[in-house]
Amino acid sequence: MDPAKRADPGVGAGTDLAALIRLVARGDAAAFDAVYDQVAASVFGIARRVIRDPAQSEEVTQDVLLELWRSAAKFDTERGSATAWVMTMAHRRAIDRVRSVQKEADRERRTARADIPYDEVAEAVESNLERERVRRCLGSLTELQRESVTLAYYGGYTYGQVASLLGVPAGTIKTRMRDALIRLRDCLGVTT
Amino acid sequence: MKTPDQGLHTLAGAYAMDAISAADRARFERHLAGCGECAQEIASLREATARLATATAVPPPPGLKERVMTAAVATRQQPPAEPQLHAAVLPWRTRRGRLLVAAGAAAAVAVGAAVAFGVSNGSMRDQLSQDQASSQQIAAVLTARDATMMTGAVAGGGTVTIVMSGSRHALVFTAADLHALPASRGYELWLIGPAGERPVTMLTSATMAGPVIASGLRPGDHLALTAGPAGGTARPTIPMMLDLAL
Repeated sequence: MDPAKRADPGVGAGTDLAALIRLVARGDAAAFDAVYDQVAASVFGIARRVIRDPAQSEEVTQDVLLELWRSAAKFDTERGSATAWVMTMAHRRAIDRVRSVQKEADRERRTARADIPYDEVAEAVESNLERERVRRCLGSLTELQRESVTLAYYGGYTYGQVASLLGVPAGTIKTRMRDALIRLRDCLGVTT
Repeated sequence: MKTPDQGLHTLAGAYAMDAISAADRARFERHLAGCGECAQEIASLREATARLATATAVPPPPGLKERVMTAAVATRQQPPAEPQLHAAVLPWRTRRGRLLVAAGAAAAVAVGAAVAFGVSNGSMRDQLSQDQASSQQIAAVLTARDATMMTGAVAGGGTVTIVMSGSRHALVFTAADLHALPASRGYELWLIGPAGERPVTMLTSATMAGPVIASGLRPGDHLALTAGPAGGTARPTIPMMLDLAL
């Protein structure tokens, strides 16, 4: 097992993202420009999916990219791919935003907007193939696994909240989440 | 035997999806700092969650790029971590420093005592060179590239800190603030695993014990701390005060 050789399915083609991030760590603005082009759509996409509100999603996207600029030197290929590093940061920021002080107001807004199929109208950047693959792999999970993952990752709920929403013991949800990610990982052919 | 931390392991999925409360997150991250296997699992699960994120890509709003680039130019970047600073926890450096100082001090005290008493007898000299050898071994573990630190809470009070190096098959153990035992009883350190139960040493002091080196680590070993008769026992005294999976 060699984590450094972990496949980086990447966010768009072009120069290897990990190599670009190492250049960014040295203050290379041109490399940062290229990193933006590779990751911004995915960062904005996940922020939008979790937060829903476009203005807040944009703010979070900006925060994440600046965080990437600031902490590029902390990126360590031994701990995973560059894509995983960036997306972990993006998802966590989005989650922190929805769980922040504005908790209540946001929740109402999110509920109100929940039925708008914004991502269907928006022009897809990621290849349909990749999207289709993720959808197919989600489809290979059991219903409980799929719901747990969707509510947690895209919905921004904690496992405890997911448990109450689904009326299932929290312990069960915890293990389903882990099982689900292991299955997804194998289905998506993520090599580690 | 199950350490309290092993129950945390099932949180891996929830943690990888940020589906936990801030308190659980902090608890799990403390656990991660001492569990290489868990960190590996989290890394692999995050490759999967990253794909859930990239599948949501939509074009970012126009103008955002320019704002980000402008803001970046005005933002100072963080320095990289210094090389050799392996464990993810910051206090590591200070602790490693302290342990090194302690190891050095123990050897210095032994040398000083020998000089003060004008020792020339053979067994004392042997003891002294043993002490020096042990502090060299300790330094070798603490400075090993693969050194990782773990801490554990002792039943009845106190904390144990170990620094372990797989490549050197050894660990350095220290304990602080252990509950004092009656004179007839003492704390004893054990390695327990598929290779059997091996006593390491009796601890000499409950307030600040170690650094003590335990060498000959085998795969699957646990580090256990027992409280038993002061003279030591043939088998670990149950219940154990601490059981740490290595």
